Amino acid sequence: MFLNIYKKEMKDSFRDRRTLLLTVLLPIIMMTGLVLFYENMISDGANETYTLAVNESFGTNEEALFTGIKNIELVKTPNPETTLGDGDAQAALILSQDFIKKVQKGEDATATLIGDSFSQKSSQLMTFVTTALGNYEFIVVSERLSGQGIPEKLVQPFTIVQKELTEENDGLNLIAMLVPLILALAIGIGAGPSAADLFAGEKEKKTMEALLMTPVNRMTLLTAKWLTIATIGAITGMITLVVVALEINFLTESLKSAVSFGDNVYIIIGVALLGSIVYSMFVASLLMITSIMGKTIKESQSYSTPIMMIAMFPLMITTGIGINELSFHHFAIPMMNIFTILKELSFGIVNYQHLGIMIGSNLVYIVIAFIVARIMFMKDKWVMN
Amino acid sequence: MINVQDVTKKFQDKKVYVTALKHVSFDVQKGEVVGLLGENGAGKTTLLRTIATLLTPTDGTISVAGYDTVKNPEEVKKKMGVLFGGETGLYDRLTARENLEYFATLYGLSKHETKVRIEELAKMFGMKDYLNRKVVGFSKGMRQKVAIARTLIHNPDIILFDEPTTGLDITSSNVFRQLVHQLKRDGKTIIFSSHIMEEVTMLCDTVAMMHKGELVHHGSLEALYKEEESRDLNYIFMSKLVRGNTDYVS
Repeated sequence: MFLNIYKKEMKDSFRDRRTLLLTVLLPIIMMTGLVLFYENMISDGANETYTLAVNESFGTNEEALFTGIKNIELVKTPNPETTLGDGDAQAALILSQDFIKKVQKGEDATATLIGDSFSQKSSQLMTFVTTALGNYEFIVVSERLSGQGIPEKLVQPFTIVQKELTEENDGLNLIAMLVPLILALAIGIGAGPSAADLFAGEKEKKTMEALLMTPVNRMTLLTAKWLTIATIGAITGMITLVVVALEINFLTESLKSAVSFGDNVYIIIGVALLGSIVYSMFVASLLMITSIMGKTIKESQSYSTPIMMIAMFPLMITTGIGINELSFHHFAIPMMNIFTILKELSFGIVNYQHLGIMIGSNLVYIVIAFIVARIMFMKDKWVMN
Repeated sequence: MINVQDVTKKFQDKKVYVTALKHVSFDVQKGEVVGLLGENGAGKTTLLRTIATLLTPTDGTISVAGYDTVKNPEEVKKKMGVLFGGETGLYDRLTARENLEYFATLYGLSKHETKVRIEELAKMFGMKDYLNRKVVGFSKGMRQKVAIARTLIHNPDIILFDEPTTGLDITSSNVFRQLVHQLKRDGKTIIFSSHIMEEVTMLCDTVAMMHKGELVHHGSLEALYKEEESRDLNYIFMSKLVRGNTDYVS
C-alpha cells in the first residue's frame, strides 16, 4: 500500500511541470551562473589584460616600472582621469613631471593612482600598480641606504613570514561556500512545490477528503507523502552536485585547480550525496508541516518561504569559521550541519564522527517533526478545510 | 444499516464553540434512500462527514453496518463510498483511469478486480472515450462522472452523496438520478443531501430535515405528506422551518 501511494505521488509530482523545472532545470541554471561568477571572482587575472591610463609625459623610464607585468596595457592620454571616467581604462596613474628623475635626485615626487574599488578589474589593476610602485620604492630606499653606507636592516629589522594553516587557496574557500549554498537552496526550491501540493494542494482540490475516506492508515499516507517530498529534494540535490562537479571540471580553470581530493574523491562524493539525502529528509519534514498547516497551496508557501530563508543564516555563520574551529554544535544543529559537513568535504576532510553527529541529529529532528505532523494530520482542523 | 444515536458535534472557533449538530438521532435501513434536506449551514455536510468517519462526534455514537465509526473507522470506510459537494476531488495530472486505479488500490482491489470494475463503471457512465485522458481538460459533467465512479469503485453497500448535482447541467443531473435508481435496485443504502425538492421527491424513500444542527423531521415521504396534508415538499419544508424556528414567523 505504502509503495503504491508513493509511486502515485511521484508520478503525479513529476507530471507537474513546476517539479521538472525546479528539480532539473533550476539547479543547472543556478549552478552555471554561480560557478561562472565565482570562477571569474577568484581568477587571479593572469590571463586578463588591463588598461592603465597614464599622462602623455609617461616616458621609457616610467614604463620600465611595469616591466615584467605583461597584462598591463598603457594608454597615454592628456587626461588619464577622464579616460578612466569614460570607461576606456580600468585605472589611471598620474605621475608628477619627470617622476623617475626627481625620485633619483631625491626631490619630491608624487604618484596618484585612481581606480574604482567596487570594480573587480579595477581593484586587480590597482593591486598590480601598487605592487610595481612598492617594488620600485623598495629598490630606491635600498639604493639610498647603501649609498650612505647604512645597512638595509636598519629600516627592516626583521622579516615577517606569513603561512596558511592549510595549503588550500581562496578558490577552495569559495567552493566550500558555494556548493552548500546552492545545494540548500536547490533542495528547498525543488521540493517546495510538491510539498505544498501533497497536503495543502489536496485540501484545496478536495482530494484529501476522498483520500481520507479510504481505509488506508493516515500514518501510511503521511509517510508516503513525506518520502515523496524527500525523494524529490534528494534528486534535486544529486542533480545539483553532479552539475557542479561537471561544470567545475569542464567550465572552470581556477576553481578546478583549487579542488584536489586525491584518493578520497569517491568517498567525498559519496558522503556529499549522503549528506544531501539526509538534508532533503530533514527539509521534507519541515515542508510537510508547513503544507499541513496551509489550507491552500499559496498559504502553505507563505509558511515555507521564511523557513527556507532562515536556512540561509547558518551559511553566514559558518563562512567566517575556520575548518579547525568547527565543534560539536556546528554538526548537531540541523541546516547548519549541511554547511559544515560540506565545508569539511570541500577541504578533503572526511570525519566520520562529524558525519555521524550530523546524521544522528537530523534523524532526531525528523522524528520530532514526524510526531508533530502526525498529531496535526490526525486532527480534523488540519486535514479538512 | 446506519444508526445515529444522540450525536452532537462542536467546533472550536478560536475560543468560541460552535455547535454544528445537536443531539441528532435516526436510523437508516438497508436499501433505503434518505434525502437530507436543510438550508446552507443547517449541518447536513457535518452530519455526512461524521457518518463518513471524517469527523469525530463530540457526543453520541454512530454505527455503520454494525461497526462504530470511532472505534472501527477502517471497517466503516470499506463499506462506504462518499462524494462530497460540488467539488469532484480528482487528480488533474492523472488520467481518469489512473484516478480510478489509484483509489481501487487504496480500497485493496486486485489488479484484475480493478480492471473489470473500471470497465463496468466506464460503460455505466459512458466514460470510455475519455477514460485514458488526463482529467485536467474535463468538463464539470465529465469530472462528476469520474468522481462518482471513484466513489463506487469498491462497490460499497452504503453511499453518501453531498449535494451531488450542484453545478451540473440537466443531462448530467439526469444521469445521476438514473444512477441512484440503479443503485436502489441493487439494494444499496444511500443518504444524499440536496436543495432540490423535486430530486428528493423523485428518489427518496425517507426524508431527514435539518435546521440549525437539529433534526426537525425524519420519516417516510408518504407519512410526511399525510401528516402535512400536502404533497408539495417545498411548502412542507418551509412550513416545518417556520414551526421549528421563530425567526421565520416574523
